[in-house]
Order: sequence, then structure tokens, then C-alpha cells
Amino acid sequence: MKTTNLPAPGLVRPRTLMVGSLFATAATVIAFCTLVAVYVQQRQHARSIGAEWFPAGTIEMGPPGMMMMTLVLSVVTAQWAVQATRAQDRPHGYIALATTLLFGTAVLVQFSFVYQSTGFEIGVGIASLLFYTVTGSFVVLLVVAMIFMVVTTVRSLVGPFESHRADAVQAAAFFWHGGVACYFLVWYVVFITK
Amino acid sequence: MTMTNSPPVIEVSPEATRPSEPAGLSGLVMTTDHRTVGRLFMATSLIFGVGVALVGVLIGLERSVSSGPADIFGGLNAYFTMWTLYRMAFVLLVVMPLLMGMAMLVVPRQVGAANLAFPRAALASYWSWLIGSVIVVSSVFAGGGWGALDGVTGSERDAMTLTVLGTGWVIVSLLAGAVNVATTVVSLRAVGMTLAKIPLFCWSMLVTATVWLFTLPIAVANLVIIYADLRGGPPGAFGAAEGPDIWLQLDWLVEQPAVFAMAVPVLGIVGEIVSAATKNPLSRYTVVLTLVGLFGLLAIGGWSQDYFTTPGDHRYRLVYVAAGIATALVVLAFYGAVADTLRRGFHNLIGVPSAALTGSVVALVLLGVGVGAGALRVISLTRDDTRWDEMTTFGLLERSTGIGVFNAVVVAALAGAAAGVWHWAPEILGRPLGENDGRRVAVVVLTAGLTLAGPDAVAGFFGAVDGPVPGGDTSGVLTTISMVGSIVLVLGLADAAAAAGRALRSGSAAGRAEPNLVRTGSGEPT
Repeated sequence: MKTTNLPAPGLVRPRTLMVGSLFATAATVIAFCTLVAVYVQQRQHARSIGAEWFPAGTIEMGPPGMMMMTLVLSVVTAQWAVQATRAQDRPHGYIALATTLLFGTAVLVQFSFVYQSTGFEIGVGIASLLFYTVTGSFVVLLVVAMIFMVVTTVRSLVGPFESHRADAVQAAAFFWHGGVACYFLVWYVVFITK
Repeated sequence: MTMTNSPPVIEVSPEATRPSEPAGLSGLVMTTDHRTVGRLFMATSLIFGVGVALVGVLIGLERSVSSGPADIFGGLNAYFTMWTLYRMAFVLLVVMPLLMGMAMLVVPRQVGAANLAFPRAALASYWSWLIGSVIVVSSVFAGGGWGALDGVTGSERDAMTLTVLGTGWVIVSLLAGAVNVATTVVSLRAVGMTLAKIPLFCWSMLVTATVWLFTLPIAVANLVIIYADLRGGPPGAFGAAEGPDIWLQLDWLVEQPAVFAMAVPVLGIVGEIVSAATKNPLSRYTVVLTLVGLFGLLAIGGWSQDYFTTPGDHRYRLVYVAAGIATALVVLAFYGAVADTLRRGFHNLIGVPSAALTGSVVALVLLGVGVGAGALRVISLTRDDTRWDEMTTFGLLERSTGIGVFNAVVVAALAGAAAGVWHWAPEILGRPLGENDGRRVAVVVLTAGLTLAGPDAVAGFFGAVDGPVPGGDTSGVLTTISMVGSIVLVLGLADAAAAAGRALRSGSAAGRAEPNLVRTGSGEPT
């Protein structure tokens, strides 16, 4: 009896990038929780001694709320990109990626507006220092998430389709969702409860 | 007749799946081999280790023979900088990367993977860590550091900014390595190797990486705030260069309980060595896994930063004390599992114990000293409100028991790492190390650990304080013994490096031994 040397069956590729992204997202969220915790602690301390944290009316509710809504929509489009990549649907994949990036860019623009409208100076007091530290860290996080999203989606849609590349997009989307969760914290603590 | 109904069996060995590596210097820069990256981490951290231990000797001299404040260093700022560098560098430049390197080397082979989950990221984390470390060290010697007690110039303030940036850089690099190791354990395990069956060292590294992922981002957040403040914040806030504030926001990283995170892999290394030496699986393996996990859980330390704690907060105090006592109990239970394994396999321990086993015992003894002193320290805090307020309010004037705990734990981690190097020498160095060399290094490290940590741990209960402020040090016999311990530690590290060098120079592969790589929870080598 003779056997034919057929190629080995494809390995079931473990979802390494997804697991790695899970760990990285957890670390990022913890760092954000710390920033927000320091912000809350310092605000509480300032109020306990009767000091004013931010002058009334300096932070508007509209733009930060709009950013929250924009980011919630981006969660949907990020998942849309994942779905399109899985289905190897290039047109929808690119549209979903472009829409997600558009939402991300819109948030960056809105942050620029918020910074101009508040007009805080970083060296004036602890409140403005922490305001810029917390929100600035989120801006950096958003830019990193956008780069991650572009790289993984484009790599997965260009060239032959491989299953692990869809996992890579899902990993990027997971990191994106973690970023949105971080903004939810920022939105509630910094902009809502002020 | 041609049969195609059975799938062909193609055996792929880890060696065969490795891409060919460039040789020479370019190999070090371009390699994606986890063994090379692991060796780079270990060798570099050992070099840093000798340097940091020498700084420890100078601090010991200052404490024991100096007639005035900061005589030897020539000023209070220089003393404070070295005092903080000793602690921070021991954690970030020596122990963490040493254990990380060992994990990168051993873990993939133990779980049956050809490489780490992200080989290029591993290399990037090494070079990034090295660059960050160089920034930290050079900026410290340029007048930077984590604050100053005696005024600063403009350039010193800039150097401090660089130190803060470098510290963050180092931590992020270590985090990248931790993600890599954890992902390798979770994703790349061989089929059938469940988490309950993985080798204890892999489990301990998974726990360690997870603890670091829960702890180090908190330090990164602290550093971001400090950096932003140093670059333009209001005077007198988080980044106040003229004072100890910067250090006081970061010192939790080198204190109880966060410092215990460095000792989690020690439990894994010791467990594997004891199991191999007795040719018996560890007693109640699932319980041992749980104990290692609990030890890691209790070592998550971000919550314990007293800079943001209101003095007199009894809830915080209760948790702090409970965690300190629980840690000691967990280590005690681990002792029980190890002792039971030794008892069951005693008949297999013939003659002089191996170097790895001797090193394991040393690591366990020093860890016991560390967690024991830590538990007594937190118990003593419950009996004295003044001391509690002293600790939370005047962080630089802590009782010397704190530094005793720190030294015991880091030397225990070094002893555990040394035991691991001797145990896995065929994998790590490509050949076995001398048994007599190993036993001698173990005895030297034990002497160093006990003399370095013991006097401070004891003296703290009798009122001795440790701090880089005038009147903060207590000179006397105990501090002199502690200084001798620093010197012995330098000798121990140099001896270990020399033993490795001798083994590498001997060159012959005749002494190659089978690496003790995979021993699953059932105790059966696979």
C-alpha cells in the first residue's frame, strides 16, 4: 500500500493578535482609569477645601456629547469593517474603514474645538493640567487606534485573503472599542460631572 | 493502489520552523529568535545588576560611615538621586528584564511553540527597553532623577524630565514584553495542554505578566501626569522638581505589595526544580497553581500609593494590613506543598543537592524573610497610629523595615533566576553550568540577602528609619552589616557571571545535558 504525500492540512491558527490586543487594551484601560481616578481625587480635594475646580460655563456640554455619539457610531462601523473583512468583501471593507476613520478624525477636530472654546492654560492650576493630561492622553490613544485600524484593515484587504488577517482587524476593532470605553469615562467624569 | 484516505503525518520540529537567522552583530539587531532576545535581556540586566549593586554599596557606605548628611555623595541631591536610582533600577533595569528574558527563552519551548507570539515585538521591546534604560541612567547622572531635596537648576529640571520620560519608556517596553509572554502562554500552547496542565513556570509567568499589566499602566499614568506638569504645569503640583513629590508618586512601585510581583516567577522556578529533583509531581498541583495565582493577585499594588491617600483612612489601612498578612500565609502554604513534594521524593535526592535545588532553597528562604518581615511590618502598623501617619505622610522617613523587605524580595528574585539559569542551562547557554559554581553562588547570594535585608528589617522594629534626609539614617552595627551585604551581593553577581563565562569558554558540547524544559502538571515530562 502506498500513500501520497499530500500537503499538510492548514494549521488552525491561534488568535494571537486578538489575545495580545485583549491584554494591550486592558493595560490601556487601566492607565486611563488611573488618570481619571487622580482627576476625581484632586477635584474632590479641591471642592472639600472650598476651591473652584473650573469656572462655571467654561465647559460646554454639546461638543463632548457629540463626540460620544460619534464614537458610539464608530463602534458600529469598526465592527462593520470586521464583518466585511471576514466576508472578504473589499468594497464594504474599505467603506467601513473610511467611515470609521472619518468618525475618528471628526472627534479629533471636535477636541480641537473644545480646547479653543475652553481656552484653559495648562500652567494655571491643577484643574487645567489634569484636564489636558486626561483628554490629551485620549487624543493620543485615538490616533494610535486609528493607525492600528488602518494597518490591519488594509493589510487584510490587499492581497490574498487569510483567515488570521480578519482576526487582526477584529483585534484592532477590539482596541478601538476599548478606546471608546475610555472616552466614556472621560466624557462622564470630565465633561458631565465637571 | 494509492491511498489518500488518511492524512499525511508531517512532523514539524520547532528547530525546523525557525527562519534562518543572520549571524554576527546584525543577528542581534535583526533576530526574531526568542532565545537570542531572551539572552540579550538576561545578559544586559545582569550588567545593570552589577552597576546597581555597586550603587547599593555606596549607599551602604553613606549610611554606615558617613559623619554628616550625604558626605560620600557630595550633596543631598546626589544622595537622594542614588537612593532612588537603587530602588527603581533594581526593579525596572535588573529583576523585571531578567525574569522577562528567562520567560522569553523558556516559555515557548515549554508550551510547545516554535517562537513567541510576536517575535518582532519581542525584539522591539528589548531594544526599546535598552534605549529607555540608557536614557534613565544617563539623565540621572546628568543631574536628573525623580525629584531633588536641595534645589534644582534649569538643566537639572530638564534632566528630570528626561528621567521621567525614560522611566515611562522602560515600563511600556516591559509591558510589551509581558503582553508577548502572556499571549504565548494563552494562545500557543500545544493541543491538549490546558492551563491546569501547563508547567508551573509558564503559569507563574502568565500570572506575573497579568500582574504587571494591572500594575505598570498605573505607573505610566502617574508618569504622564508628572511629565505634563514638568513640561508646563503649575508650580508645586505633581511634577514639583524641588521636593520629593515625584518620587512619592512612584515609590509604591518598589514597596509592599507591588514589590512582591517580582517574586511570582520565583515560585514557578522553585516548583519546577523541586519537581525535577525529586522526580515527583508537585503535591496538589491545582492548589499550587491557585497559590501562585493568589500570590500574584495580592501583589497587584497600584491601589497602595499613599501619595493620594487621605491620612487616617482606616479602610485603606485595613486592606493594606490584610493583604500583607495574606501574602505571608500564601507563601507559607506554598512552602507546605514544596515540603510535601520533597518528603515524597526524598529517596530520589541522593548525595549533595544540585545547584539548582540549592538556589531554590535560598530563594525560598529569602522570599520567606521578605514576606515575613512585610507581614510583621503591617501588623506593627495596626498598633501604632503615629507610625501609620508617619508612613503615609512622610514617605521619605519610613522605618527601615521597608527597605529590608525590598532587598529580601529582589535578592530572592535574583536567587530564583540564578537557580533557573542553572536548571535550564542547556537551553539558556547551550551547555550545563558547573554544579560547584552554582552551589557557591547560592551560598554567596544567601549571605548577601540575609546580611543586606536582615539588619534593616530588624532595626526598623526598633525605630531605625531609612531615608535620604538629614537625620533620616541610623548609623551603627546593623547598617554596617547591611553595607557588607551589598558588597557580598556584588561578589555574588560577579561570581555568577564568571561561572557562566567559564562554561561558555569551556566550549565543549560533550557536557550537554537534556534541558529540563517541559514538566506538565501531571509531573510527566512531555
